[in-house]
Amino acid sequence: MPRYLAELRYYPGDPLEDIKISDLKTLGKEYGVNISCAKIENREMKDGLLMERTLDKRIEDITQEVITVTSDQEENFSKCLVALYKKYRCPRTPYSLLGSNEAGQKIAKKLMDQHGGW
Amino acid sequence: MKILALNGSFRKNGNTEILLKQALMGAESEGASVEILRLTDYQIHPCRGCGLCLFRENVCQVQDDDVSFIFSKIDECDGMILGAPCYFLELTAVVKQLIDRCWILGHKIGKIKKPATVIVPYATRGWIPYVSLQSNILLNIMGLTKINEITICTQGISEVVLDTEAMDLAHEMGREIAVAAEKKDFTYKGDPGICPSCHDWLFRILKDRETVECPTCGVRGKLSLREGKISVTFEEKAWADSRFRPDVGYNHFTYHIAPSKDYFLRTKEERKLKTQRFKEYLNR
Repeated sequence: MPRYLAELRYYPGDPLEDIKISDLKTLGKEYGVNISCAKIENREMKDGLLMERTLDKRIEDITQEVITVTSDQEENFSKCLVALYKKYRCPRTPYSLLGSNEAGQKIAKKLMDQHGGW
Repeated sequence: MKILALNGSFRKNGNTEILLKQALMGAESEGASVEILRLTDYQIHPCRGCGLCLFRENVCQVQDDDVSFIFSKIDECDGMILGAPCYFLELTAVVKQLIDRCWILGHKIGKIKKPATVIVPYATRGWIPYVSLQSNILLNIMGLTKINEITICTQGISEVVLDTEAMDLAHEMGREIAVAAEKKDFTYKGDPGICPSCHDWLFRILKDRETVECPTCGVRGKLSLREGKISVTFEEKAWADSRFRPDVGYNHFTYHIAPSKDYFLRTKEERKLKTQRFKEYLNR
């Protein structure tokens, strides 16, 4: 069980650029952390817009990209999160860290407050 | 063709009302029928933040006031003139009160094609930094397209009638909005500002100290100095994030707001437990 685990939930329109596995691998290597990404896609094209009904859905089930970062080293973990926030900007919602462990969430949230405003 | 003036001033026959009426006379000269509403004559209760308009489409819990009537008037018109005085750095409170009640109009963002223009009388030069911000929010959320905006330096009640240039300008703006509504030409004719979308001069420095953002549109750019002049450049792709684009508005509701119901429901017991002491504290 890693000491620090953060799940960053990016919804459509949230990341400033496309989240690419190759970029995440580079960041993981640079900061010595484990990093992965899961993509959930439930949108359908209607009236020229990609649409989805999310009102009565579980947060984990709606369209999103979840970047998972784990590490036992606080410094590496923190630096990687800052790099992710800089690259994609912070996740936008109060529930965007759902699934993180307590230690990871605490750091991820603090860094959002420090590096937010994107 | 109908042009509606919304007056955000409490004062009857004050500078705002005079300028709006002068603009409406201009609109009439182009064949428009006209109407003016003084917002302070109507009940505009505060938004209760209940979220019903977001979770049950088009339902507002506040029914005992005149906001639906005001919205119906905006629906009826072909073009709108917003007038409000600046007393203290921004527009009057009634404008903000109306902005907060506009959540229910969020689904109209970018979908209505009507022109709007803005007239703001104020007293002291330099004391108007937030007037465009507020009018831009209101017009954008109502789905209207701003084609012009003026601020007019004037002070005591009705003194603006002494300012021939201001009166001529207001008349011309009224004529202009009528023509724009008739021809469906929403070309912006005012001061270009810094933001190419909302034309405001305000910019926010982000925490990286490398990026600036239009606080209204949410579009990011880079600040630079060219021949001693400050400028902001935007990448083309930055416009995809403009807050008032229909798809951005849709994503905001669909992914930022609607899913909060799930979080709200799953934290119900914990919230109930932790909220209890606040219900009891200072609540006699």
